[in-house]
Amino acid sequence: MSPRIMVVEDDDLIRDSLVEVLEDQGYEVLSASNGRQAFELLQTAPLPALILLDLMMPVLDGRGFRELQQGDPRLAGIPVVVLTAYREIDTEGMSAAAMLRKPVALKTLLETVRRYCAAA
Amino acid sequence: MTQNLPQAQREASYQVMVESVRDYAIFMLDANGMVQTWNQGAERIKGYAPAEIIGQHMSRFYPPEDRKAGRPERLLRKAVEEGRVEDEGWRLRKDGSRFWADVVITALRNDDGSLRGFVKVTRDLSERRIAEERLRLSEERFRLMVESVKDYAIFMLDPDGKVATWNAGAERIHGFSPAEILGKHLSTFYEPEGVAAGYPKRELEVATRDGRFEDEGWRLRKDGSRFWASVVLTALYDPRGELLGFAKVTRDLTLRREAEDERIRLAQAEEAIRLRDDFLAVASHELKTPLTSLQLQIDTLSAGDERLGPKSKLRIERATRSVKRLVALVEALLDVSRISTGQLRLSFERIDLGQLAGEVVERLGYAAESAEAKVSLRVQPGVVGSWDRLRIDQVLSNLLTNAFKYAAGTEVRVDVRAAGDRAVVVVADRGPGVSEEAKQRVFERFERATSKRHYGGLGLGLYVAREIVEQHGGQIAVDDNPGGGARFTVTLPLASSPDAQAEHP
Repeated sequence: MSPRIMVVEDDDLIRDSLVEVLEDQGYEVLSASNGRQAFELLQTAPLPALILLDLMMPVLDGRGFRELQQGDPRLAGIPVVVLTAYREIDTEGMSAAAMLRKPVALKTLLETVRRYCAAA
Repeated sequence: MTQNLPQAQREASYQVMVESVRDYAIFMLDANGMVQTWNQGAERIKGYAPAEIIGQHMSRFYPPEDRKAGRPERLLRKAVEEGRVEDEGWRLRKDGSRFWADVVITALRNDDGSLRGFVKVTRDLSERRIAEERLRLSEERFRLMVESVKDYAIFMLDPDGKVATWNAGAERIHGFSPAEILGKHLSTFYEPEGVAAGYPKRELEVATRDGRFEDEGWRLRKDGSRFWASVVLTALYDPRGELLGFAKVTRDLTLRREAEDERIRLAQAEEAIRLRDDFLAVASHELKTPLTSLQLQIDTLSAGDERLGPKSKLRIERATRSVKRLVALVEALLDVSRISTGQLRLSFERIDLGQLAGEVVERLGYAAESAEAKVSLRVQPGVVGSWDRLRIDQVLSNLLTNAFKYAAGTEVRVDVRAAGDRAVVVVADRGPGVSEEAKQRVFERFERATSKRHYGGLGLGLYVAREIVEQHGGQIAVDDNPGGGARFTVTLPLASSPDAQAEHP
């Protein structure tokens, strides 16, 4: 069974691009357009091996999502890769597995994803 | 009350009364001017006991010059002729000191009209005189003080608003001499529009009504130039409540006003810069969103569909480079906004500078090729320090890109070495070099060594490089490459800065 990845990103174009390139690589992809939607999806859907998380999103941002996730023993162990346009955003305390800056090169993205999904 | 008393009793009462008066010397002279009586006031004022003076001639009360001039006799003669004489002048006390006296001499006649003698009433006006003198002096001093004040125009207006006095400050501030302005109306100081709008009239009306009028505004000097005046007008009334006029104090606050204007202009300029930086930050972030999906799409294309023909591959390659350029431009804009808002933060790690330089040269190989530049790298091994990897990478990339842009087709040498406690990177080219005048400003924002359009770019590369280097505690400089071309030298501290240690304990 191919590894499952969750993409949480509010921008449709970026989200669709991510989903497509990951699916092309044979991953099974779950997607959500904000932190709240992602958290709710995780209550019922099969758990992913990795979460790609945007930071600035409406309703519930990346940091808020990460807090909910870390507070849920069932979800806390899923590694998170943060995707952000801002270098300045402080990701300390979020204990992200990795941080990718937008715009991200496909090669970098796939290498990072492979690293955490291989480990899963 | 005394009227009902018998004559003798009445005279006795008068005598007691006169004798007890202390504020006036009241005494009688006989027809020849000899002192006949002497009251307490006379003793107090003139200093003689009755026994010492009774029977003496009244001329001894006069100073020698008056005696010589026959003044005592003249006064007595006048009293005889006119019944009464009044005089004011210096008199002598027993001890020879002088006092200013107010004197009334009244001739006394017998029932048959013959001269019986004189009553002399003398008042010592010295104290009053001194008080008056003091007042006069104090007024004089006050007048002199007001007149000599140079920093304030202090002058009076009559009730109609015409200038009545004029001090040195008024002359200095307004430019009019007293002769030019005395009698002129207050409206002389106003600009014609102010006069037309009735400001001078209102000023007088308010001061009359409220006792005071305060204002700040432009006023005119004699030469027609404007000054920013702070004005206080105070209505002056006499004790009966009659308007005497107005005291006007004017200060020239032009310099302060200009400083204030300057401060406002500066604040507005800073606000404009802040807005621009905010806009840059928001705009470049917004640009990044579509760039992110664009880059992913193009990367997917170039990652290679084997069925693509060579032409399509070339086009995708060009699109990839365009996206990279776009990303770099957006990053540069974002860097400018980070720098000017003080948000350029470094994250330090151990870096082998020579190795990093090698990576940068290799990565820019394509750019070197298209600039037909030959890059040679000389590295002293083991130049290791604690720096921000991405930022130092950016500095080296900017310097190399700069060399490729301005010195296309030449040899670009990159040198990495240690010198004492510093790491030194030199990027030297064989291009046209940088003129002396341009050396001053190549590191400024939006500056280029040359304004020629074909060089393109935002002119931010060297500015961003300088900011990064300086934030590392280093320096960047440009000079002439011996043998022609430009030589950029970056020095960075090898030892970790205190900040760096704080981040990596």
